Amino acid sequence: MTSPQLEVKDLRKSYDDGRIEALRGVSLTITAGEYVAISGASGSGKSTLLHLLGGLDVATSGDVLYQGDKLGTTVNLDEYRANRIGFIFQAFYLLPTLSALENVQVPMLAILGDANTRASRAEALLREMGLGHRLKQYPNELSAGERQRVAIARALANNPTILLADEPTGNLDSVNSARIMEILTGIQQKRGMTLIIVTHENDIANAAPRHIRVRDGRIVE
Amino acid sequence: MPSQLSFTGFACKNLWRRRLRTLLTLCGIGMAIGAFVALVGFSRSFEHEWERLYSSSGTDIAVVDKNFMNTSVDQKLQDKLRAVPVVSMAEPMVFNIMDVTPDVNALVFGWLDDSYEFSSLTFDSGGRFHNGKPEIILGQMLSKSLGKKVGETVDLQGTTYTVTGIFQGGTALEAGAIIMPLDQMQILTSQQGKVSGFHVRLKPVPAGESAEHYMKRAQAEIEAALPGLNAQAAADRAANNQFVGLAHAVAWGTSCIALLMGILGIANTMAMSVFERTREIGILRAIGWKAWRVMLLIQVEATVLGFTGGFLGIFFGWGALELLSKLPQTASVVSTSLSWEHLVEALGISVLSGLIAGAYPAWRGAHLSPVEALRHD
Repeated sequence: MTSPQLEVKDLRKSYDDGRIEALRGVSLTITAGEYVAISGASGSGKSTLLHLLGGLDVATSGDVLYQGDKLGTTVNLDEYRANRIGFIFQAFYLLPTLSALENVQVPMLAILGDANTRASRAEALLREMGLGHRLKQYPNELSAGERQRVAIARALANNPTILLADEPTGNLDSVNSARIMEILTGIQQKRGMTLIIVTHENDIANAAPRHIRVRDGRIVE
Repeated sequence: MPSQLSFTGFACKNLWRRRLRTLLTLCGIGMAIGAFVALVGFSRSFEHEWERLYSSSGTDIAVVDKNFMNTSVDQKLQDKLRAVPVVSMAEPMVFNIMDVTPDVNALVFGWLDDSYEFSSLTFDSGGRFHNGKPEIILGQMLSKSLGKKVGETVDLQGTTYTVTGIFQGGTALEAGAIIMPLDQMQILTSQQGKVSGFHVRLKPVPAGESAEHYMKRAQAEIEAALPGLNAQAAADRAANNQFVGLAHAVAWGTSCIALLMGILGIANTMAMSVFERTREIGILRAIGWKAWRVMLLIQVEATVLGFTGGFLGIFFGWGALELLSKLPQTASVVSTSLSWEHLVEALGISVLSGLIAGAYPAWRGAHLSPVEALRHD
C-alpha cells in the first residue's frame, strides 16, 4: 500500500473567536503524484483547506501531516513552503517591479545561493512555459494567460513535490483556461508531482481523476 | 547570460518604484546628515583653530586654573614657573570675549609686549603695542570689519585705545582678535595682578627621552612647582576648553535633533512601504521566504536609504561649510576641509539611522500572517 504524502486529520478552522467555522472536521489523504480537484461554492472552505495544506495558515485544531510528519511542529512551515510546495493563485500575484525572469528567480533567492544557477533555471522554466520571448517583460506588459504561465514557472522554481493551485483559471478566458490546465496536467504527469486544484468550475473539477466536494466546511463526497 | 536578480537588486527596485517618496526621504536624511557634517565639522574646525593658536606660537603647555574663564591665577607665579628647569619661556596672558560693537564680537588677548607669542604674527602695517599704554593691535579680519587702520582709535568699554598694528594671525581665531598690553587688559577686566594662565614653551627634548615622556615629566614638574594649577599639553587644552566644549555640545545636540527627524522620515517611508506592500510580503512568505528574510529585505531597503542619504548629506554639509567659510561672521572659525574620519562617521551614523528606522517596519512586515497578507487589498 502507498503511504500518503499528505494526511489531514479532523481539521477545523474558525475565525472571529469561533463565530465563523470555515472547516468543520475535514479528514482526507492524498498520495504522491495524485491529481485532485477540490470544488465547492464560494465560502465553502475549499480555499481555507488549500491554505492549510500548503502551510500558509494554521488550523484551529486537527493536523496536517506531510509524509507522516506534522506541519508546524515536526515540519517547519517556511521550509515546507520553500522546498515542497508551489503555489499558483487566481490573481497571479506577480511582483510588478520585476520582469518575468526576475519574478521566477524570487523563490530561489530563499534557497539557492548562486545567481547564475537561479537565472539559468528561471529562463529554462519560462521557455518550458512557452515564454522564451517574454523574459524581460514586466507583468503589466503580459497578457493574463502569460502572467499565469509566469506564475506557474515561479511555482516550479524550487522543484516542489506538490503544486497547489487556487482557482488558477478564474481570471482567464476559455482559451487561456484550457491552455493553463493543459500545462498543469502536463507538469503533473511529466514530473510525477501531486497537483491539487481548487476550482468552482465543474468542467475542470470533473476532469480530475479525484474530485473532492466541500460544502459548509465539510467534505461531502 | 540571462539577467540575474540579487537580493540587494530586489531591494533597490522596491525603492526605485516609488521614486518621489524615495527622493524626498533621501532629501530628509540628507539634510539631517548635512546638518551633522556642517555643525560637527564647524565645531571641529573651531577646535582645530584653537590647536593652531598654540602650535603657531610654539606653545607646548598651558598652565591654568581649573576654570578657564576664571582669571584668578596670580601673575606673580610667573617667576616660579620660569624657574622650573624644563621651562624655556613662560608668558602670562589674559583672555576673554568682548562686544567690540553691538554687531561685532572679538576674542581679546592681553600679552606682555615682549611675549614670544608675537612670533606667530605678521604685521601688515604698524607694529607691537607698548606695556602700560592704551594701545591695541587688530587682526586683519577684525580691522576690516571695524574699518580701522593704524593710528586710529577704538573705544572699548569707555576707554580709547590707539591701533598700533594690523596683523595677519597664525590662525583664523587671531585674525579676528584684539591683542592689547596685559596690564591694560587687567584694568579693563578689573583683574589687576591676575591672569587667565601662562603659556609655556619647553626646552628641547633631551636626547634619549621620548617627546611624550618629556611632556608628561614637564607637566608633573610644573604642577609640583605651582600647586593648585593644571599644566595641560596645548593640544589637550585646545580640545578641552569651554568654548570648544560648548561648540561641540551645540553641534552634537542640534545634529541629534536633525538626525531624529531623518530617522522618523525613513521610518515613515518604510512603514508606508510595508503597509502598501502587505500583499507582496504575503506572496514572498507564500513562496517560502522566511520571516527573517523579509525583515532583512526591508532593512536592506532602509540601509540603502541611509547610505545614499549619507552621501547626499556629506554633499549638503560640505556645501554649507563652503558657504559659512565665505560669510564674514563665520569665516574666522570655519574651514572647509573635512577629515576622512568625519565623513566615515557621518556615513556610519546615516546607515545606523536607516537600520534603526527600518527596524519596526521590518519586524511588522516579517510577522504578518501570509494568508492575511495575501487577502490585504
